[in-house]
Amino acid sequence: MPRIPIHRRSTARVAAAVTTVGALVAALTGCSGGGGSTTLDTKADVTLTWWTGQADEAEKILEGLAGEYEKLHPNVKIDVSSGAPSTEDLLQKLSASFAGGNYPDVSYAFGSWASQLEASNRTLDITKQVADPDVDWKGFSGAARQTARPTGKKTIGFPAVVDNISLLYNTKLFDAAGIPYPTDRWTWDDFRAAAKKLTNESTDTYGYAYSVSGSEETTWQFWPHLWQNGGEVLSSDGKKAAFDSTAGVDALTLLRDMAIDDKSVYLDQTDTKFGQLFAGGHIGMITSGPWQLYDLKTAKTDYGVTVLPGTDGNHETVSGPDLWTLFDHKDANRAHWAYEFTKWLTDPAQDERWNVEYGNLPLRESETSSAAFQAQVKALPGLDVMAANSANAKHARPTVPAYNKLSEAIGDQISAVLQGQGTPESGLKAAAAKADAALEGNGP
Amino acid sequence: MSAAHLSPASGVGVDRQRSRRRRSLRLTLEGWAFVGPATVLVLGLSIFPAIWSFFLSLQRWDGFSEPQNIGVGNYAYALKDADLAAAVTHTVLYTALFVPASILLGLLLAVALNRRIRFIGLYRTAIFVPFVASAAATGILTTYLFSPQFGLLNNILRRIGLPQQGWLEDPRQAMVVIAIMSLWGSAAFTTVIFLAALQDIPGELVEAARIDGATARQAFWHVTVPQLAPVAVFATIWQVIQALQLFDLVYTTTRGGPLNATQTVVYYLWNAAFRQTEFGYGSAVAWTLFLVTMLITVGVVLYSRRARIEAF
Repeated sequence: MPRIPIHRRSTARVAAAVTTVGALVAALTGCSGGGGSTTLDTKADVTLTWWTGQADEAEKILEGLAGEYEKLHPNVKIDVSSGAPSTEDLLQKLSASFAGGNYPDVSYAFGSWASQLEASNRTLDITKQVADPDVDWKGFSGAARQTARPTGKKTIGFPAVVDNISLLYNTKLFDAAGIPYPTDRWTWDDFRAAAKKLTNESTDTYGYAYSVSGSEETTWQFWPHLWQNGGEVLSSDGKKAAFDSTAGVDALTLLRDMAIDDKSVYLDQTDTKFGQLFAGGHIGMITSGPWQLYDLKTAKTDYGVTVLPGTDGNHETVSGPDLWTLFDHKDANRAHWAYEFTKWLTDPAQDERWNVEYGNLPLRESETSSAAFQAQVKALPGLDVMAANSANAKHARPTVPAYNKLSEAIGDQISAVLQGQGTPESGLKAAAAKADAALEGNGP
Repeated sequence: MSAAHLSPASGVGVDRQRSRRRRSLRLTLEGWAFVGPATVLVLGLSIFPAIWSFFLSLQRWDGFSEPQNIGVGNYAYALKDADLAAAVTHTVLYTALFVPASILLGLLLAVALNRRIRFIGLYRTAIFVPFVASAAATGILTTYLFSPQFGLLNNILRRIGLPQQGWLEDPRQAMVVIAIMSLWGSAAFTTVIFLAALQDIPGELVEAARIDGATARQAFWHVTVPQLAPVAVFATIWQVIQALQLFDLVYTTTRGGPLNATQTVVYYLWNAAFRQTEFGYGSAVAWTLFLVTMLITVGVVLYSRRARIEAF
């Protein structure tokens, strides 16, 4: 009589996976914390572990730079790897590496993880070092500096990649519809009217596209609308959600009216399809960032770039700075070289050969006059507009630990409203209630 | 260990007894040497993390800050979590769609394949191939089939003049499409089981019924089907367990959307643990699901024993 081996594919399998990685790391490596040098000896041999969070071409560029740094400083060895199969997976990997005590010296991190990483008490604080005028800390955008200093107490690393969202438009579709191209003086009403005219059901063409996956892509696209209307994501003490306001309702109502009444918005269930459809000439306008330009070049799309449409002359956008986070191993030598290396990496001379070379925005606005950036603008038209648009990123995206949950709460509701479920008022109210619970630390 | 069984029966002499003991020790060690590596793997990669996740489920831990002990707080929250309740509803809907369909389809295919016709090997292979394909491949393939704008299915509908469907992008249809997808992938499993059971049924039984005047249909329903009952109970339990654990297809196709309509319990707990880094809460949901699955299984086993369907 066969018995079902219930435990074989036990229901706790996923939960098991939660801990397996950590358990293995812990078992195999033991605790590697402590035992480091307490006094600084810049001549001593040091091995740094660097998780780049990049793949393919970007990873190759960074590996090249690490090799170069090793040549400049023969006593420093840098173990460089992507760290995880995708940038998103790095958070999980970092958590497991903390459990095992075998974490890197420098790791890429999404800006939204910053306060969580700070709360681990395993980050370095480089506030004093970056005050050195040699660093040109002020050269980074305000949003980037704020993200590197999530709670305002510690500086946990350097900005790694900065971006913002701008308005991209397909010139062929605009010409075909006989509409003048968007300008930097456009209002959202101009935008809405153009989107409506561009939409053509018989050719599957839409004026605009919006992700309704409920992810951070859904959420962060909404913040410029909220801010332009005078709203805020959080209350000034950061303890309550503040997006459930008249500004929020106005912002969401515009998107709702476009999606439901005008039917001029392609609602993307993934976060990636609308970019391809825009490149393929099925969408007239998207709001997106520098990462889109390379695909447009490959697809030979005729496009233009300008700032986001404005509300009463306010063309504010949102920026998503990512970080090189530095981790503390209670070792003065490792801390020193981790800092020195990251400082070198983010220096304009190196940034030119990494961010600019790869087609990202330069970390500091001062770099936009460089020959390298100008050459890149030739290759990727519009990159200069996006770089200049950084000045319109006035608000930093919140870095509170509960941001992930707040983002999911409002992302879900925006998706629901745009697909005809509920009103902007009720949606934002429900999202705010959920976000408040998360901010208070209630709930799971 | 079963080493004692293996030691041969022997006489009563002291020497022989000693040597027997030594031999049995050697056999025991030998036995452990064989099962040792697997035991370590199972303990290390399955049992130990499962137990650890139970302790995690009593904590509030985001993977970075100090964990906080909150007792059964996570379980209490799970009971009143509306999103989890929605995920349970979606999972139950999926189970209700998938399990009966996979049993009936498996039975149908098994009966169809249980005959001597030409190329039968080819047909059996064709049915089995999707089962071998990974869920990731199935998912990617079907997103192409069901794409509302560019998919093959909507193209066919367009050709024959029927209205276009949203499929995976329509909250009302998405779960049904996922059930169809997994049916395609796993119907082979129930088919093979029923096929084996059908081939175990002695041909004389059906023959005798036919000689007694039963029609082919009567012979099938009153002779063949009752013989299949134990296998059907086994297959049902197995498929229910599979259905309650649905994750991979959702992950590769809809990621829980549209509007969370395909968010299953396992997807929800994965999202809680890895996206929202609530490892404690994710573990608590996993343990709850484990207990529910266990109860269902034990319940069905007890019922089938009482009903004298000897599945176990």
